[in-house]
Amino acid sequence: MTDEGRYRGAEGPRARLERWISRGLTRITAQALGPYQTAIVRIGFGAAWFFFLLREWPHRQELYGPDSPWAWGLARQLIETNDAFTVLMWSSSDSWFQLVYVVAMAAAAAVLLGWHTRAATVLFMVGVLSLQNRSVFMGDGGDNIIHLMAIYLVFTRCAQVWSLDARRARRARERHASPEGQWAPGEPSAPGELQQIAGGQETAAGVGGVVLWSAFGAVLLGSTVAGGLSIGWAVFFWALWAVHGLWWAVNRAAVRGGAAVREIRDVCDILANLVHNGVLLVVMIEVCLVYSTAGWYKIQGTRWQDGTAVYYPMNLDYFTPWPELSHLLAGNGVMIFLVTYGTVATQVAFPFTLLNRRAKNVLLTFMIMEHLSIAVLLGLPFFSLAMIAADAVFLPTAFLVWLGRHTGALGGRARGLLPGGGPRAPQPVPEPVAETPKVSAYGPGGQP
Amino acid sequence: MEPAAHQAPGGEGTRGIAALSLPARIFVAIAVAVVTVGIAFHVAMVFLQTAPDNTISKRHGELVDSYVYPEFERNWKLFAPNPLQQNVAVHARATVTKRDGSTENTGWVNLSAMDGEAIHGNPAPSHTQQNELRRAWEFYADNHDEKGKPIGLRGRLSEQYIKRIVMRRFGPELNGGSVERIQVRSAVTPVAPPEWSEERAQVKTTYSTQPWWQVTSADLPGGGK
Repeated sequence: MTDEGRYRGAEGPRARLERWISRGLTRITAQALGPYQTAIVRIGFGAAWFFFLLREWPHRQELYGPDSPWAWGLARQLIETNDAFTVLMWSSSDSWFQLVYVVAMAAAAAVLLGWHTRAATVLFMVGVLSLQNRSVFMGDGGDNIIHLMAIYLVFTRCAQVWSLDARRARRARERHASPEGQWAPGEPSAPGELQQIAGGQETAAGVGGVVLWSAFGAVLLGSTVAGGLSIGWAVFFWALWAVHGLWWAVNRAAVRGGAAVREIRDVCDILANLVHNGVLLVVMIEVCLVYSTAGWYKIQGTRWQDGTAVYYPMNLDYFTPWPELSHLLAGNGVMIFLVTYGTVATQVAFPFTLLNRRAKNVLLTFMIMEHLSIAVLLGLPFFSLAMIAADAVFLPTAFLVWLGRHTGALGGRARGLLPGGGPRAPQPVPEPVAETPKVSAYGPGGQP
Repeated sequence: MEPAAHQAPGGEGTRGIAALSLPARIFVAIAVAVVTVGIAFHVAMVFLQTAPDNTISKRHGELVDSYVYPEFERNWKLFAPNPLQQNVAVHARATVTKRDGSTENTGWVNLSAMDGEAIHGNPAPSHTQQNELRRAWEFYADNHDEKGKPIGLRGRLSEQYIKRIVMRRFGPELNGGSVERIQVRSAVTPVAPPEWSEERAQVKTTYSTQPWWQVTSADLPGGGK
């Protein structure tokens, strides 16, 4: 091999740079990286928002309804000054609000399950932005991170594994494969056309996808004509709609079409991977920013310096659902000191530990534990769930695969107990397309 | 930027750029450049919004704000630089007109304590209990001067918001009379320093009483549109 010869021999810096660039380009274009990580982020945020909306169901009118204390008219005056996006300003009627709330819940459930995920994430974003921007003063940090991630999820291929889309794609693949008998289910990469289906979760969208797409087109047309969207948002939604339609059409054409059509399809696939990988990087940077800026600000705080900071939230009436428990912790000066210093050290150090896989995993465990304690002690379960979902983007693939297998086995057993459940059909653990072990250790440093 | 065709690593790159024709590769290269620049810009903007005021963010403040707000804002700092060290409670009272035409003032009602009761022993407190009044008061305090005068549109909006929150909890009828006007005050109590520390501080509640507000139909539930 010429490559290998050049590798061993005296290689100029230019050749090395070229090789490095081309390897990097292949890496970010040939596949959507982090299939398990993006899936767990999708599931985490879908669940956080779904269960939040479910929990607030009895309070939904007070939070986001037309007659909330933050009344529709008040919201409109504020939104006129900042142009925040919310479909709830289209009408002050109660039935419109109820519809939006229910659709937001449905979209969150669809994102959680990975059902027509590319469309569902758009609807999810619309739901999150509409409700939160309607009543900005009802939210907290948890809402804020859900808001950001809802936008980012739109750009990711986050349903490659652990989703109904992945299951549908796998079944389509199996149907294709079985007559020839060339390819066994569970095999990571299938040749030619089959692999094309594997590459795009949204390829095998089926009739449901077409119906959804047409419905979205009608709604979009209506809202554009009625003037409900600003120019920027109209362009954004129409572009997404066109891209989804194009992807579907190109995939259909590529099955029978010639080399040119296949190449167009491949270029589309590459673009989707590219955007996915870019936004995945943004998500990782965003999580790092959350922690490092929090850490840097804390270092300047006197209470974090003298080791008493954690004592104070334990004594805030709004954040002590279990005062006895909080006071137990607050009463122990050494413990408070350790948690205070540990928190600052973890937050400041976190971005740099990404350079070392083991150190990163230790800190990640620490942060997830801390958020679990915040969930209970400060009474912030949805905030904590959202933060853990964001942290999950850094979980190692091996752990996630293990988690998926055990959850799947548990689910299978539970199904077996149900009447008529019976033994589950053998379902291979979904294999991501062309995943290499290296992916498990990736971090921002792993990409050019 | 043009990717080298001969560099496809075995197996993995079968669908990668290496297999594409030249125009397609140029197109992909342009896309890579666009996405890279876009991401760098986005990250820079988001970073400048969260970072403290600095040379760059002062120079490009308008650009940063116009890009980040309202959808990419990050508005919480996880108890930094210092955690809140005081309990802020909102109290309210009303002047009610009785059926015989006489008026009387009610006592102060601690609305935050009612929130506290709802939160107590609740594994998942509602935003209506944990955030509504607490954040409404922050919004109000941020947009009023020391004499309780509203500052701009946000000042007026926050005032109406507080009125509507109070009236939702009081209801139009209170103590056998109809509510004519209401008054609110904040009660700020510092958290006592830890027993195990050497710090000693006086724990005294300070009140900041706002003017009386006439209640109109717009402040009552049902008058929000």
